[in-house]
Amino acid sequence: MTATAFPPQFKRETHTVNGVKTIVLTAGSGPPLVFLHGAGIWHGINFAVPWTQKFRVIVPFHPGFGEADDDPAMTEIHDYVMHYLDLFDALGLDKFHLVGFSLGGWLAANFAVEHGHRVARLVLVGPAGLRGKERPKGDFFLLPPEKIPSLLVSNFDVIKPFLPEDPKDLDFMGARYREGGTLARLLWEHPYDTKLPRYMHRLTMPTLLVWGEDDKLLPVQNAELWRQRIPKAEFQTFKGAGHLVLDEKREAVDAVQRFLS
Amino acid sequence: MSVRFDFMHFMPYVHLPENHKEYHSTWVDFPNKYYDAKKGYALYQRYLAELVMADKVGFDAVVVNEHHNTAYSMMAAPNLIAAAIIPQIKNAKICVWGTPPNLEYPNRLAEEYAMLDVMSQGRLEVAFPLGTGMEYWANPINPSNARERHRESIDIILQAWTQDGPTTYYGDFYTYRYLNPWPRPYQKPHPPCYIVGTGSQETIDLAAKLGFGYSSVFVTKQRAQELNQTLRRLAAENGHHIQPEQLPLQVITYVAETQEKAEEEAIPHIRFFFEDALRTTPTFLAPPGYLSVLELKKRAALADKLHGAFSFETVNESFFVAVGTADQVVEKLQEWGERVGTNHFNLLAAIGNMPHWKVVKNLTNIGQDVIPRMRARASTERRVAAE
Repeated sequence: MTATAFPPQFKRETHTVNGVKTIVLTAGSGPPLVFLHGAGIWHGINFAVPWTQKFRVIVPFHPGFGEADDDPAMTEIHDYVMHYLDLFDALGLDKFHLVGFSLGGWLAANFAVEHGHRVARLVLVGPAGLRGKERPKGDFFLLPPEKIPSLLVSNFDVIKPFLPEDPKDLDFMGARYREGGTLARLLWEHPYDTKLPRYMHRLTMPTLLVWGEDDKLLPVQNAELWRQRIPKAEFQTFKGAGHLVLDEKREAVDAVQRFLS
Repeated sequence: MSVRFDFMHFMPYVHLPENHKEYHSTWVDFPNKYYDAKKGYALYQRYLAELVMADKVGFDAVVVNEHHNTAYSMMAAPNLIAAAIIPQIKNAKICVWGTPPNLEYPNRLAEEYAMLDVMSQGRLEVAFPLGTGMEYWANPINPSNARERHRESIDIILQAWTQDGPTTYYGDFYTYRYLNPWPRPYQKPHPPCYIVGTGSQETIDLAAKLGFGYSSVFVTKQRAQELNQTLRRLAAENGHHIQPEQLPLQVITYVAETQEKAEEEAIPHIRFFFEDALRTTPTFLAPPGYLSVLELKKRAALADKLHGAFSFETVNESFFVAVGTADQVVEKLQEWGERVGTNHFNLLAAIGNMPHWKVVKNLTNIGQDVIPRMRARASTERRVAAE
């Protein structure tokens, strides 16, 4: 299993925030860039390496995911906003760029709505969290677990190295099940945010919306829900990329870097 | 030691379409367009008659339970079944084992069970299952804190039954400003209670703490013995003495003239039960957060080992299956009862898609040749013990 092989230039720090132990990966120098990962980080963060040339890239593990500890008392997105408020204070991060992917995009949007003065620029990559008129797309829980990896990408070869050879690998299965449980605590009742739309007018910082055109998990049409409420947001889509657009397209990584520079 | 026999019915919808094997599950997402209400009516008539018959041939109790979105069971609301049979069943206890408390408001479940207990003049027994993983896909309840909700629900129900109302309850899941349900149970302080489970540590701990009975379902012979031992020990640590009757042993039972005939008549329906009625997916069995990661890995490893086509030999070897002559069945029940320390047998005697005539034959044989012999043995042993 190679899932937790993170790029060597990232240094690991352990932080205990309000009783929950988490790991923060940091590399590079320059203005701080915080990346909030999606509902799993087993596909690594190789995409973030180019950013380290211009930014101090900070990648924390969310409680209940990857190498962070569990905290069953964290049952709503706002608990994660409060967690990051504490962590950013502990890291001495006053103002920073915030990049959120998928669940991390939902979380980043919530953080930025409440603490906009701390977010220099906001990037939302294939963010989850808004409900369309039709059946909510991207209900993670409707997907058979064995199909999730192939639904994440346009080109399967991109994530293949991060998957165990045996599809029934118990450790990998157990780790994903644990993260599914964390996700269920947050959004089993509603796989979308019922409150966020009401406050999105507060996203007044420069904002970039990034989407893979072949996103099978959260189809690119979902971008409209975000663009309606953040009319000034820049919007870029990438051909030949699925949900993991940063992992699949270097152009997307570069676009984020240009926007933040 | 006295002996007790229950007849448990699942009330399956047996008229599956010819192409049903193409579906990965007969639960959760198995299309309900395949439910034909006219056939359903005929099945209800038949199944209700079978429950009533069990009382007449000498069973001590009839058992019903609850499942959703499935051909496995037509008892989405077992209290309705209980209410329908109470006027027709004169002696047997009525066991609703049961509605998962997470799927109803606790006060309402306390009320419904109290109604049934009063209506049956104190013949109700209840169980508080967590509910299978499948129920959490079918109902709008979060599986990730299901165990916490389950404990709180039971706490509320017991408070409603044991304390004079109105009382208040301020919990993590429910707030009651006036917990004051009418009616109250006929039995005091309340009907006998069980936890139903597949053997996870959490359910055992809960039964031990409350001093409830524990009905393990779909566990292997070896595991059942361990579970009962563990429960007795843990309950004792909590100051409860678990009686043999509190440990019902679930046995797939079919009695015929010869072993060959019994197997010939029963095996196709046991096969249907395991292959078709119980067909589901690992994801439906374990919605996110429903199991601990350790438990999930244990079960995944076990499922891998058990994987393969249905084999009666394997089922017969692993689980409590008594298919044979009355003599053989009596021997097996006697041996298993001693081994796991119970005198309470919960017989699955209407198995899978078994036709009515076989259920009638089976119940008749059990009533005539198994139950009386087991009772006679039990009373002999009692006399011997007394001497």
